Amino acid sequence: MSDIKNLTSQEQQVAEILKTVIDPEIAVNIIDLGLVYEITKDEDNKTINVVMTLSTRGCPLGDVILENAQVVLESNFPEYKVNVELVWDPVWSPEMITDEGKKAIEQL
Amino acid sequence: MQAGLSTKNAPSTSVVIPHFLFGAFMFLIATILILIAAPQLILPFHLNSHMLTITHLMVLGFITMIIFGALYQLIPVVMEVKLKSEFMAHLTFYLFGSGLIILVISFWEANFGPNQNWRWFEISGSLILVAVILFAINTLLTAAKTERRDIGNLFIVTGIIYLVLTVSLAILMIINFAHPFIPVNILDLLKMHINLGLIGWFLFLVIGVASKLMPMFLVIHKLPEHLLKYAYYFLNAGLILLVGAFYFYPQFWLILFASFIIFCGISLFLYFNYYAFKHRFRKNLDTGMKLSKSAFILLAFALILGIFAIIKLDFTAPFQYRIDIAFITTIIFGFLTSLILGQTYKTFPFIIWLKRYQGKVGKQKTPLPQELYSDKIAQWHTNSHLIAFILLIIGELSALVWLIQISAVIFIFTAVLYNYNVYKIIFYKKQIES
Repeated sequence: MSDIKNLTSQEQQVAEILKTVIDPEIAVNIIDLGLVYEITKDEDNKTINVVMTLSTRGCPLGDVILENAQVVLESNFPEYKVNVELVWDPVWSPEMITDEGKKAIEQL
Repeated sequence: MQAGLSTKNAPSTSVVIPHFLFGAFMFLIATILILIAAPQLILPFHLNSHMLTITHLMVLGFITMIIFGALYQLIPVVMEVKLKSEFMAHLTFYLFGSGLIILVISFWEANFGPNQNWRWFEISGSLILVAVILFAINTLLTAAKTERRDIGNLFIVTGIIYLVLTVSLAILMIINFAHPFIPVNILDLLKMHINLGLIGWFLFLVIGVASKLMPMFLVIHKLPEHLLKYAYYFLNAGLILLVGAFYFYPQFWLILFASFIIFCGISLFLYFNYYAFKHRFRKNLDTGMKLSKSAFILLAFALILGIFAIIKLDFTAPFQYRIDIAFITTIIFGFLTSLILGQTYKTFPFIIWLKRYQGKVGKQKTPLPQELYSDKIAQWHTNSHLIAFILLIIGELSALVWLIQISAVIFIFTAVLYNYNVYKIIFYKKQIES
């Protein structure tokens, strides 16, 4: 598993695709919101694993965001098996938002 | 299924939509009746048939109806359990809606004299009581399944229990009018009913829901939830003491003491909100949250009026009853109305959006939930609501009927715009691009 801050170029591509997944309430993508903790792209086994969280437990749009992440990765990497895993540890906090995310929220 | 997945627990939209449609329409009817009944709205409120009609249209038809609809969605989603029975929810809606319509017609035509016929009050009250009991069974059994036991859930569950008590007391009052048997002054029963409803039902529910939604809407974590725990104890202790005092020992000092405890509880909740708004990460508020912020400011204003209302307890004193009316008006037409208008935009578009676009997200370009309604119209009625409310309060305090009538016209304008947006959300259609 690669931490979101230390991605390979291949995993960076996955992260870029995940930037199209928007949290509908905040209207900011899940990468810049800091919701994605780890990304692994395994070339040998043809698998993509994403470990992510949600801003709040019981988030009314939680599974929409997860499904969206799954769908965009499957459609962009059709030869790969995609697994999006939801975790609650560590708990997300606003400090995890990237600088780009902070700018986007300020412009809302 | 992964832990925390939530929308799979949401009920079908056919459970939720009728509540919002009915609630919005009742708001419109209530505002029209303010215009018609303006001369009666400067008179004392106990046994004032037109004022009681409008009050019940607002608190049951508009506010409670929309809360019911929102809770059917919210409880399963935030508590991560499925709604116990959708059939029971549909049945509740029809019983509650029909009971309410009969009740408000009965109020409108009532004279409360010795020849008053109480039959339709008994029928409508019974329908509403059955509906409320069904609602309580459905939601409490749903909540009982959750593993998430926190202060927000506790407030919601307690609020539902107070709702049952509020409506049960109303039925007892109706029966007591027809066949007197309760050895308590009718005004004290009325005060018990009002306090159980406004503090027990509405305030508990608002606090519970706010503790759940505030972190999401404002993007804030580590809220001082311990304040809400203290507020829970203060509000319960104060409310039980107040209601008990009205029934058993209606002495000024005891009522003042109970009110002070409630005042402490509400102050803690207001400070919790102040903290959340001050430390929020999302600085720019959307229209829904602006309305919610106004609501909490109006709650603080209601608290000040409440102090004046409590200091003198005689309902019939010349100016005192105007203060009492202004206090209740601020809670219903100010605090609760502003909150419902605002939270409609924070919940209803998402409910419809989920139903319509959940399966299409990621595969096709879909609109954002916020695009399902006109934000410009929401902003207009945010401003018009505030103007209408201020004019209404001044009109009531100074007993100026013409000012209340102007306020009513602006309230009607507000309700029309709000209804337009509710319909727009329900019937939103946009060609989605592949």
